[in-house]
Amino acid sequence: MKYDIVIGLEIHVALLTESKFLCSCATAFGAPPNTQCCPVCLGLPGALPLVNEQAVEYAVRAGLALNCEINHFSRFDRKNYFYPDLPKAYQITQDVFPICTNGYLEYYIDDVLRRTTITRLHLEEEAGKLVHSSGSIVDSEYSLVDYNRAGIPLIEIVTAPDITSPRQARLFLEQLRLLMLYMGVSDTKMEEGSLRCDANISLKPAGSTVLGTKVEIKNLNSFRALERALEYEAARQSRVLEQGGEIKQESRTWDERSGRTLSMRSKGDAPDYRIFPEPDLPPLRLEPDWVFRIRETLPERPLERLHRLEESYGLSRYESTFLVNYADFCQVFLELAEEGEDNTDLANLLMGDYARLAREQGHLEPQRLAGLLQILQEGLITHNQGKAVLEELFKSPLSAREIVKEKGWEVLKDPAQLKGVVQQVLTANSELVERYRGGEEKLWGFFVGQVMRTVQGKADPQMVNELLKGELTQKS
Amino acid sequence: MRRLAELLQSKQISSTEIVRGCLERIEETEPVLNAFITVDEEGALAQAAAADRRRAAGEPLSPWDGIPLAVKDNISTSGLRTTCASRFLRNYTPIFDATVVERVKRAGLPIVGKTNLDEFAMGSSTEYSAFGVTKNPHDPLRVAGGSSGGSAAAVAAEQVPWSLGTDTGGSIRQPASFCGVVGLKPSYGRVSRYGAVALAPSLDQVGTLARKVEDAAILFSLIAGADPRDAVSAGAPGFPVPVWDDTVVRGLRVGVPEEFFSSGLNEEVEKAVKRALQNLADQGAVLQPISLPTNEYAIDTYLTLVTAEASSCLARFDGVRYGERVEAADANTMFAKSRGAGFGHEVKRRIMLGTYVLSASHYEAYYEQAQKVRTLIKQDVARAFQEVDVIVTPTTPTTAFKIGEKRNPLEMYLSDLYTATANLSGVCALSLPCGVDSQGLPIGLQIIGDHFGEELVFQVAHAVEESVGRGTGSEV
Amino acid sequence: MIDRQDVMRMARLARLELSEEEIELYQRDLNSFLVSGRKLQQVDVSKVEGTSHAVAVIGELRPDVVGESLPQEAVLGAGPQVFNGFFKVPRIVEGQE
Repeated sequence: MKYDIVIGLEIHVALLTESKFLCSCATAFGAPPNTQCCPVCLGLPGALPLVNEQAVEYAVRAGLALNCEINHFSRFDRKNYFYPDLPKAYQITQDVFPICTNGYLEYYIDDVLRRTTITRLHLEEEAGKLVHSSGSIVDSEYSLVDYNRAGIPLIEIVTAPDITSPRQARLFLEQLRLLMLYMGVSDTKMEEGSLRCDANISLKPAGSTVLGTKVEIKNLNSFRALERALEYEAARQSRVLEQGGEIKQESRTWDERSGRTLSMRSKGDAPDYRIFPEPDLPPLRLEPDWVFRIRETLPERPLERLHRLEESYGLSRYESTFLVNYADFCQVFLELAEEGEDNTDLANLLMGDYARLAREQGHLEPQRLAGLLQILQEGLITHNQGKAVLEELFKSPLSAREIVKEKGWEVLKDPAQLKGVVQQVLTANSELVERYRGGEEKLWGFFVGQVMRTVQGKADPQMVNELLKGELTQKS
Repeated sequence: MRRLAELLQSKQISSTEIVRGCLERIEETEPVLNAFITVDEEGALAQAAAADRRRAAGEPLSPWDGIPLAVKDNISTSGLRTTCASRFLRNYTPIFDATVVERVKRAGLPIVGKTNLDEFAMGSSTEYSAFGVTKNPHDPLRVAGGSSGGSAAAVAAEQVPWSLGTDTGGSIRQPASFCGVVGLKPSYGRVSRYGAVALAPSLDQVGTLARKVEDAAILFSLIAGADPRDAVSAGAPGFPVPVWDDTVVRGLRVGVPEEFFSSGLNEEVEKAVKRALQNLADQGAVLQPISLPTNEYAIDTYLTLVTAEASSCLARFDGVRYGERVEAADANTMFAKSRGAGFGHEVKRRIMLGTYVLSASHYEAYYEQAQKVRTLIKQDVARAFQEVDVIVTPTTPTTAFKIGEKRNPLEMYLSDLYTATANLSGVCALSLPCGVDSQGLPIGLQIIGDHFGEELVFQVAHAVEESVGRGTGSEV
Repeated sequence: MIDRQDVMRMARLARLELSEEEIELYQRDLNSFLVSGRKLQQVDVSKVEGTSHAVAVIGELRPDVVGESLPQEAVLGAGPQVFNGFFKVPRIVEGQE
């Protein structure tokens, strides 16, 4: 039987506030353990939470970017469970009345625009970090707890189960990450845990409207892991169903090493979080004016930028996508495009050798890059030489023009001088000239190469071609 | 206290002398009373010496600089052990001051020690303390009431001039009534809860106990007002000590709820309260029979909400960051053993109840239902305050009962029958002595005022105190 | 009626190790509480919303400014078991409620 895959995602995004969600401790990553803690985030008796305004603003910004309804009334709840990394043994979250609901995210699958519904987006606090004595929770004798991370603001974004393939899930998540980055609400570093994803996946007979039993996959800390885990799980579930088995509703964890999802040990009853309204915090009421201001100052979204690059700059989907994915490159592009540089040349330069060098060594001043483009356009150097100049620009403080001058890389522009070289080459290889004239046309490349070698590559290839053509046909 | 302040001001007495007097009195009476868990002799004397130096330099922090107080042992004091009368916290020393402690320190009040209570303020007799029962100064075979039994007994026995307590369902007013002192439960949000160890955050308030109405008002003036660290105190006004004007009683509309004078009310208590009411009428007050029909449900509502919130608030006591830990091979067993050994019966009972009413299958029937009944109770009270200025009732159905007399927990909970309504509806209420019964045990009168109506409550209490003081209200 | 299983389940959820005596005691207490809880269920609440906060306040939000954190010694000071700047806990067994 053929099955349809049904996937829904839950994404946690750590917000880029300076201080924590409910207290004023710093959020910076990488501090020594338990040095960014206070009575509130340690859950000391008597300490009380206070909501960070910036976290609320970021949540609203993210919600607006995801086309959500912003709820002017939302409420905090307590989700009760015991775990060593959870200082109060409850998490402050928003269960019944989330801050944002009912939005969507659009993204391309190949060239088709797709839309995934965002069911809800809510604010909650992060837990602390556990370090396991043996490196893995499974066989560690003890664990160590660092509460620096406890209380960092998170938004949880929940999608409708309307994703139909593992690849789509990845593309969705990539677009979501980009959106959060563009909105400036998160650094979205998956390796540091600031973007995390859990996935729910079920299968149903192709075309059926009845959903199958879903399985939750946790520990998906890269795009690749998300896609691979979903592929594995879809195949596993399909195999189970084919053999007449039943899918167990459970949580599974992705094991990167073995490339499999593993059932998480489930003991005792289903979790009962005993969620109830957080009495320490009054409900959140947002002024419509405040929300309006955030809406008005919302940064450009990645998809909007993609369309702008295509429409206003005439770039291809491929070029635009590159620039949208790498906002820093896009910034260089937009700045130089503003100065009237040729858009396609510019995009190609940025995507080519420049990309490699800039990623290793950081961006060049756009003006220095502009200088390179200019001498290329003037024909002062060849495109091949352009690469060498680019390498030099990353090493030397000199401008492109100065580098060319210093290195003596100017193209030989005097046709008379170049003609002399061409004639010299042909004279020295008169036998081959005869053979060429006799129809052995593949020798053309040899002549070009010899000329270029003689001038150390500094000739305009087109001019060389023209001169060679003239010399070889003239005397026939 | 004004006299004491004058004596201090005119250097006829020093703070050190007052504190020494308290310490002597404590030494003399403690073996019987057991009002304190911790007496901080050294700290109190050091603070007194500092107060004396300020007086000598002519720079007292306030008129009350140097007048000592006692603090209930569920209110955090930096560097001074704060046990909540629990075995779990018997060695816990906070690293921060509660806001109310910070405020009394800022006014120069030395802290003599930390007073006994029912463990985590769960009780009405101070029998449920891991540090022994506090005895009633009027009869050591009887309870002091609770949970602020230590704070009430210490004031009644003149161990200290005044004290701080907490009140979630009657925990200041009921022991004040039993011990014959004045006790105020402020309006919800009027006093910061920061640093007071939570029992039920939607009901808890810190309040004052003293032998005289004016003293309770003065101490209240030092702690009242918004605190940026307690979100629900936003917008709370401060409280200037009133200029006493007993003519406020003239034309005052005094609500007398019939439900508070029905079966279960001890006859002598009823008589004393009615006599005080008659006195008010004689002074020109208009007694208005009113009805608070939902008060019948106050205890059940209170019990449901308080156990639910407490089960969550006490979850943080897991043995990871502080408190007494019982080692075990895995974290969950360590949690369960530490909590099982660290908590007393009543605490465990309430955690069990609270867990039950919040659990998924009972939430709606119990917890949510109680929240809705709470709304009805609030509406009843709000309706009453449209017709009357204050509501006057007995504080408790009986005078102090014998130690060990109430074995059935539900019977114990009925002690809060007349007091819980003020917590559920968030209004303020004060208990003051209005006579004694045939055994010489104090009888308390409760004056309930509207939200933030403390000024009027104090004025009325002052008038009642004057009339009782003139001998018209007391049998002895 | 609350049976022994219910009591055990609540105890597990609340992480309370109970003695045999306590299990019986709390089973009895929970049952007598149900009587009181049922009394509330008789009340007609069809026209009201629940009260979750004693007073309806507009909460003030905190500006996003970093304040002082505690020194590590103070954070760990009350910890029953600490190691190398961390709190130490025994083995974590996943999957319990």
